[in-house]
Amino acid sequence: MALRLGGILFGAALFLALPTVTDQGIVFLAGLVVIEAIFALSWNLLFGFTGLASFGHAAFFAIGAYLTGYGLKAGLGVPFLGLIAASGLLGALVAALTGLVLLRRTTGIHLAIFTLALAEVLRIVIGYSTLLGREDGLASIPKPTLELGFATIPLTSGTAYYYFMCVAGLVIGAVLWVVCHGPYGRLLVSIRQDPQRVAFLGVNVGRKRLQAFILSGAVAAVAGALYAPWAQIVTPESAHWIHSTQPMLASLLGGAHSFWGPVVGTVLFSIINYLTRNLVGLSELVIGATLLIIVLAAPSGVIGLVRTAQQRWSRRRKRGAGPDGDEGGSLRS
Amino acid sequence: MALTDILFALINGAATGSAVFLVAAGLTLIFGILKILNFAHGAFFMIGAYVAYTIIGSNPGSLHVFIAAAFAAAAAVAALGFVADRLVLRRLRHVDEAYMLIATFAVLLVCTGVVKLIWGVNYASINPPPLLDGAVTAGSLFVPSYSLFVIAAGLFVFLGLELVIHRTWIGKLLQAVASDSWMSGVLGINVPAALTITVIASFALAGLAGGLLLANQTLSPILGESYLLLAFMAVIIGGLGNVRGAFIASLLLGTIESGSSLVIPNMPGMATYVFVILFLLAKPQGLIGGRHI
Repeated sequence: MALRLGGILFGAALFLALPTVTDQGIVFLAGLVVIEAIFALSWNLLFGFTGLASFGHAAFFAIGAYLTGYGLKAGLGVPFLGLIAASGLLGALVAALTGLVLLRRTTGIHLAIFTLALAEVLRIVIGYSTLLGREDGLASIPKPTLELGFATIPLTSGTAYYYFMCVAGLVIGAVLWVVCHGPYGRLLVSIRQDPQRVAFLGVNVGRKRLQAFILSGAVAAVAGALYAPWAQIVTPESAHWIHSTQPMLASLLGGAHSFWGPVVGTVLFSIINYLTRNLVGLSELVIGATLLIIVLAAPSGVIGLVRTAQQRWSRRRKRGAGPDGDEGGSLRS
Repeated sequence: MALTDILFALINGAATGSAVFLVAAGLTLIFGILKILNFAHGAFFMIGAYVAYTIIGSNPGSLHVFIAAAFAAAAAVAALGFVADRLVLRRLRHVDEAYMLIATFAVLLVCTGVVKLIWGVNYASINPPPLLDGAVTAGSLFVPSYSLFVIAAGLFVFLGLELVIHRTWIGKLLQAVASDSWMSGVLGINVPAALTITVIASFALAGLAGGLLLANQTLSPILGESYLLLAFMAVIIGGLGNVRGAFIASLLLGTIESGSSLVIPNMPGMATYVFVILFLLAKPQGLIGGRHI
């Protein structure tokens, strides 16, 4: 536990220190990592916790990105936090509407194809609506000013906005952590493990799934809302199914059954992408091969690997201390 | 909208549908027997196309060479399928289906990377062989002969699969494995061998489709995606793992695609996805439910 907390604090400190030690390009990538990590956390709330695989999650991301991007660009006069909240609400609303219809019908592969098809419909609609810039998307989105009532903080510089994103990421991460580690999160995990038994215990499984779907959609939309002013351009590609696969790959690489797995996976992905950026085709090859090895050798992801190694190490240490060391610790995972 | 327009849209739809079925055939076979929704199928389709392109170049000399190249591509991809089965699929027979999806997606990534490394990211376009380059005209109706070729190829593959699955001992054996692999094993069927045969056949079909659909395509590392989604939809609508259902669904989707380009020309693909969503809401088990291959 202490090790994990240390890791999280170290990671946070590293991200906060980045603008002072590296150049703009790396900071931009780090900002994207924060956004994609939130996106991946939202997806894993569905998959890793509730056991629902959505293959069209980028649709929610695009909803948030387009709403905030359009709001900032058109200069509607809505404060930035209002736009983010509106994005979250719209994401939740769309998730509620689709979830109400889809989750009643199906889970598993059918749900995957449903969500994939819905996201593609959204992408095509965006690509043909003149208001949203068609295939070219919304370009030159301005960075906003944060109005808190008692203070006004301009986020127009890259560094200021980067820090804002780090804070937003920490807040969202903390909220999701609390949700996932409370009784509610336990319930979601038990629904993933055995929906039938949970239903026998008197839980309305359908309603819990719908709630998780709504929360996940809202968080994904907020990730999109943060993305629009950072990239300053939003294109229909953000709703493409390839983008939907990003959180899946990150979650599995990091470890889908652990809370921080998606974050670790996102960081690893961008490092691989950054290191292989010069040779065309190499990044796909390395990412694909890494994923294959993970799925074949360690389905619990990088975090699972580390955890197993940790347990083995601590068991060995205890065995060295005395023959009657407590081995029950390995049951807690 | 004249009658010829509608006729043209129908023939076009049949051609698109047959092309989708050529890709969906292998997909539905592997789903019917191994219960894997194979994301890598599109990538192997693409590799088949690249292999055929390497053999014949941009201007295939004759129809025979064109078809021979498609069969060579099928053989090459079948060999890759054997390797993929040994390295990946066989080890994942007993894990959760979500992990299987991710594993096949990883294979898709590896294949895309390899294609980019070997053939580069440049686009290439291939002309049909001389015999298929023209068009057939009947009155005011004008049909490219390559479309007719694709329709014929789709029919050929469909009838071939139907015959093999329903009229031969190996087809019966695969049906037995698909419906109850444990019991088949008890009765003395070599289940692992049957599964390997299925994987190889499925990949061969992907390679064949790549070779046959090569002409009039822009060859690029994103070729795999273009048919993959439509083929997925066809497999799901057909009733998972059902060859006959996949064939009907492919034709249906092709007709909707070409019909919608007649009615709403500025939103390609839209009608297809909307149809898929509405159809699955009404009939989640697909056209022909159950898991009869």
